[in-house]
Amino acid sequence: MHELYIAQSILKSVQKSLPEDVRAEDVTQVRVECGQLDAVVPDSLIFLFDAIKAESNMPQAELLVEQIAVACVCKDCSREFEMELPVFICPDCQSGNVELLRGRGIRLTGITVNEPEDENHGHTGHP
Amino acid sequence: MDIPVIRDVLEESNALAKENRARFDEHKLYVVNIMSSPGSGKTTLLSKTIPLLQQRGLRCAVIEGDITSTIDSERLQPLGIPVVQANTEPFGGDCHVGAHLVQAALKYLDLSALDILFIENIGNLVCPAEFYLGENRKVVVLSTTEGEDKPLKYPLMFRECSVCLISKMDLAPHLDIDVAQITSNIRKTNAQITVLPVSSKTGEGLDAWVEWLVKKS
Ligand SMILES: [Zn+2]
Repeated sequence: MHELYIAQSILKSVQKSLPEDVRAEDVTQVRVECGQLDAVVPDSLIFLFDAIKAESNMPQAELLVEQIAVACVCKDCSREFEMELPVFICPDCQSGNVELLRGRGIRLTGITVNEPEDENHGHTGHP
Repeated sequence: MDIPVIRDVLEESNALAKENRARFDEHKLYVVNIMSSPGSGKTTLLSKTIPLLQQRGLRCAVIEGDITSTIDSERLQPLGIPVVQANTEPFGGDCHVGAHLVQAALKYLDLSALDILFIENIGNLVCPAEFYLGENRKVVVLSTTEGEDKPLKYPLMFRECSVCLISKMDLAPHLDIDVAQITSNIRKTNAQITVLPVSSKTGEGLDAWVEWLVKKS
């Protein structure tokens, strides 16, 4: 169940990425992308994230997971291809000398923070 | 307010792995991370491999990853080598050995007195493949009892490894299994991987495996 470790790592990454004047409590959405090769089950990841966020300082955070398809480039004929099956063989020249372009790794891609209506700062920019 | 970020979620784990790597380099220690499904015969394989390495004058140690038990490390005791039990339970029962766990285990080893360190990962073809520990090479053990389609189900594992040992070859004649098909499926996921059929029981293939280790170390 590497999803639990990943969920914990996501919380830490968000924490490290927040500007100093932003409160973790105000985080409403966390977006990550997962390569298909990483075999992360999005439903499991979201379930575990929800379970641990309750105990964290960002209980409102909702996790959104985008899966990134696996894509390769053939080093022999330069053909780029996306893979349906986990077969790392060039569909044109059958070479196995292929390099991964996308589809591996888990990245934090964005955070949404709810800005509370603050009466003291509410008049700027309005007539 | 949206805060755009691009950040590797596993950066902390990777940073620890790099620290491990630096320590291994400092001691010119060759480190092999061995992974497999549960029951593929990793521990038995190590118990047969290590004496062959010792005959060649190589000093070995094992970090034995397990969720809770110490059964596998007890099985390695007769070899008379340092074996560090690394249980993941205190760290949340992870189904993989993490870089932090390796770091904790290194405290119990005299790295300057070793040539090869094996990390026997937890039996699982998914999670361990995800994490870099600072090792030189990853090796996967796939037993003949597991069917032909495992490599295609768990491609990352086979992509990440330099060697795939097909274990329990002594059972192959008794099973309805096509070893050529297993090999072909392994190569579909990774054309560069070295495939070595082995049997801990008969000793088949162990010389080739030891030769590979000696050449790399
Ligand atoms: Zn090609």
